[in-house]
Amino acid sequence: MSKIEKAFNEIEKIVSSEYITDKDFMKAAYSRNVDPAFPDRWADMIVRPKNTEEISEIVKIANKFKIDMVPRGGGADLVGGSVTEGGILLDLTRLNKIIEIHERDFYCEVQCGITWGKLLSELFKRDLTTGIVGPGSGYSATIGGGLSNSTAGFGSTKYGLITDNCLGVEVVLPNPQGSIIKTGAAANKYANPFCRYGVSPDFTGLFMGDVGTMGIKTKAFLRIYPNPPIKVLRNYILNKNDFDLVADLMFRVQNEVRDGIQDLYINPLVVVRLLASIAEKKPKKRAKLTGPVFMFILEAFDERIMEVYKEKIDNIMLKNDRARLFEWMDIDENEVSSEEWTFKLKFPYSYFNKFVALAPPKISCTTCHKLPISKIAEKRNFSSQFDVKHKDEFPDQSFSLFARSIHLLPNGHCVVAGGFNAENVDSQRDIAMNIWHKKVRAQVRYGGVHYWLGEAISQSLVEADAYTPEFIAFFKDMKKTVDPNFLLSPNKFHLYNFQDNITKYIVKDAE
Amino acid sequence: MTEINPNEKYEHLAKLEDIVITCISCGDCREAIDYTAEPKKEGVCVVWEQTPGFEPFFSRGKMQIIRSLWQDKLELSMDMAKVIYQCTTCNACADACSYDMDNSALYEALRAELVDANYALEGHVQMNKAMVELLNPYNRDNVLKGEWLKELNFEIKEATKEKCEILYYVGCTAALTEEIRTVAINTAKVLKELSVDFSVLGENEVCCGSVAMRTGDRNAFNSVAIKNYELFKKSGAKTIITSCAGCYRTLKVDYAEYMEELGIEILHSIELIKNVIEEKNIELKDLGFKTTYHDPCHTGRHIGLYEEPREILNNITKLIEMKNIKNNAKCCGAGGGVKKEFPELSMEIAKSRIREAEATGADYLVSICPFCFRNLSDAIKDLNSDLKMIDLLELINQAL
Repeated sequence: MSKIEKAFNEIEKIVSSEYITDKDFMKAAYSRNVDPAFPDRWADMIVRPKNTEEISEIVKIANKFKIDMVPRGGGADLVGGSVTEGGILLDLTRLNKIIEIHERDFYCEVQCGITWGKLLSELFKRDLTTGIVGPGSGYSATIGGGLSNSTAGFGSTKYGLITDNCLGVEVVLPNPQGSIIKTGAAANKYANPFCRYGVSPDFTGLFMGDVGTMGIKTKAFLRIYPNPPIKVLRNYILNKNDFDLVADLMFRVQNEVRDGIQDLYINPLVVVRLLASIAEKKPKKRAKLTGPVFMFILEAFDERIMEVYKEKIDNIMLKNDRARLFEWMDIDENEVSSEEWTFKLKFPYSYFNKFVALAPPKISCTTCHKLPISKIAEKRNFSSQFDVKHKDEFPDQSFSLFARSIHLLPNGHCVVAGGFNAENVDSQRDIAMNIWHKKVRAQVRYGGVHYWLGEAISQSLVEADAYTPEFIAFFKDMKKTVDPNFLLSPNKFHLYNFQDNITKYIVKDAE
Repeated sequence: MTEINPNEKYEHLAKLEDIVITCISCGDCREAIDYTAEPKKEGVCVVWEQTPGFEPFFSRGKMQIIRSLWQDKLELSMDMAKVIYQCTTCNACADACSYDMDNSALYEALRAELVDANYALEGHVQMNKAMVELLNPYNRDNVLKGEWLKELNFEIKEATKEKCEILYYVGCTAALTEEIRTVAINTAKVLKELSVDFSVLGENEVCCGSVAMRTGDRNAFNSVAIKNYELFKKSGAKTIITSCAGCYRTLKVDYAEYMEELGIEILHSIELIKNVIEEKNIELKDLGFKTTYHDPCHTGRHIGLYEEPREILNNITKLIEMKNIKNNAKCCGAGGGVKKEFPELSMEIAKSRIREAEATGADYLVSICPFCFRNLSDAIKDLNSDLKMIDLLELINQAL
């Protein structure tokens, strides 16, 4: 009997035969996520544990037989995060309960396999919110996945990344003991998990954005906020296509309005034109498209305060003929006017789908990264030059965008959500992978900071020689402390084992 | 490894390439809970909710399986069939999707591949065999389809003997299930009361083939479809009405080409009856009940018939809506061959729906599908619920 079979039998005793499978069609069903740039990869077995204790037992068995493990949330990942060739794939969506909502203390405790849609639906009933409403895939993406990817989403302008709102986690460490620990205030066994700091060093941070390498998150303790009842959508189109102006306006709204802006989402001109071209119902009179569209979601508890926010935003955006008010109806009559717009989860959760499958047979290689506001124009030029210089290395008919959108974050930086696509065929997969890694390495070297790392981006960071030798040693020591056998998500960051010298993965690109 | 292109070896799936390629695997088809949706959405896939929940139990996993089949990385198997058939084809996944896709059509095609490869499930094989040989899937003598007519105190034209512009196509469940005959009887009584001139096929009625289509037996489906084509042609009908959601979808969608050729319009009985009531300005009595309405998947998500039953119910009863309604309505659990092969799963799904109905405080759970009627009634019994199951036509008959 192979070690895989032995492990299967032992895990089966833990979760019952209902919740473990090694059937081929099951493996096939878990072989991809929203990441078709990767070849499909089949795990040796898929397990759906129901709670922390079961996961701890599975971890012990995996260590006993030295079998790799990869945790999987909603499977809505774009960067190769939650698939594995061989090993144990842990489908965590059975851990989908709300443990407690502490309405008076503005925090909640949830299991990490719960979706954003489910949690927010419960919070909205109580006029509460998590602030950031999760990633664009929030109907299926889980809280645990969001924390592992330190994702941004609608609401991030005001509330920050998902990880900024995490007060602590319960984690199963991937060590032979399957240790279960809690971080944040919950590390004090006498305390409730209502805050993050003050009990120990911030070990919560060790598991934030770790792409499932440092532990298997089973519970999360999250900040919640009163949900401002008044939400307004307000769009402006710039009168010229000027990224310096984009940066200047982002600074101004952050500096002068700030709290009222739940979200600022900027659609570059090229995207606005694209949306106009694929509109379901084009208006007879073509809209004059002159620059990027600034899409603000404003929120307030009081109509009078909202009026002030609107006035201040108008003053900034409309002054000196910088921009004019814009309606999406101007390019697609099926869109609702901002007057009629109300906030629904479908708005953020379906917003990106049309771009992922703009041309469905295409694959998406995302290059989303964070930049300081002041660097946007400069890095856009760099990105354009990169695309021109390496145009022969992109897959056939590839379409590359520096920014599909620019998303303002709480301080002076933003997420530039971009990428390129290629045909979803094996003959172009290596080509796509090579230029994808190369482009991410270039972004790393110009100081861009990514947020979802998955496999593709985390490996590119190592390849770009981003880390100092001291940092690499520290990182590996940390990994070894929690995962002495290097079994959890071994593909990420090229961290296959402790002995491996990861500097051998460094790629010297001719810039 | 081959590329993800339609593999001609799978002829049924190859025709639906667009659906497979369009799916981006976002997973919205799993649960997509949304309190802000109108109507509110408390989930998507009822099968996912009641099974071990691995990916193939909902839509995204099936898409991946089809891609792997196309790549020749996977072979059809009986193990696969046992999971693929645990789907009621309710199409809630299609409704949850951002793209305009008919997911259930794809899964029916996958089942057709399984049938062709001899991986049909035994219960379905027997059911479809009976349908072909006896012209109904209940393995009953088809003559019994005329039994319900004996309970009427008036005569109805026989479509095989007398031409009539409106044909009432009863469907096998209402015609052959004793406790559900009330659906056929009340439909006939209402039509008579409204002075609608109509005919029936009685013991000559042939199953529409819905069960075969949903379970992937295309030969069985074609066998009855041809017979129905001839019967409908001879009947002289311009309109066929049916009181069964499954027949309604099958005649309207799966027979669409036939019906176009014959110039026949397909209506659910409720559509015709509502029109007649309005045209004749007939006043209905307020029955004083509290009711709640279950949208059958085949009239709802598959066709979009949501408002007509509600308008009538609002008129004659106090309609209290369940949480998940219209396009977000939860399936009763019977469809797609699930009740036949996976009765426990079917029952669990139905019980979940009954609990939702009970929460409204209604006296009656109303529907317009004999098959939903049957499964939900079974769940009411199993739960020992005080709720009473009733077909809308029976209420209309009382209100006339």
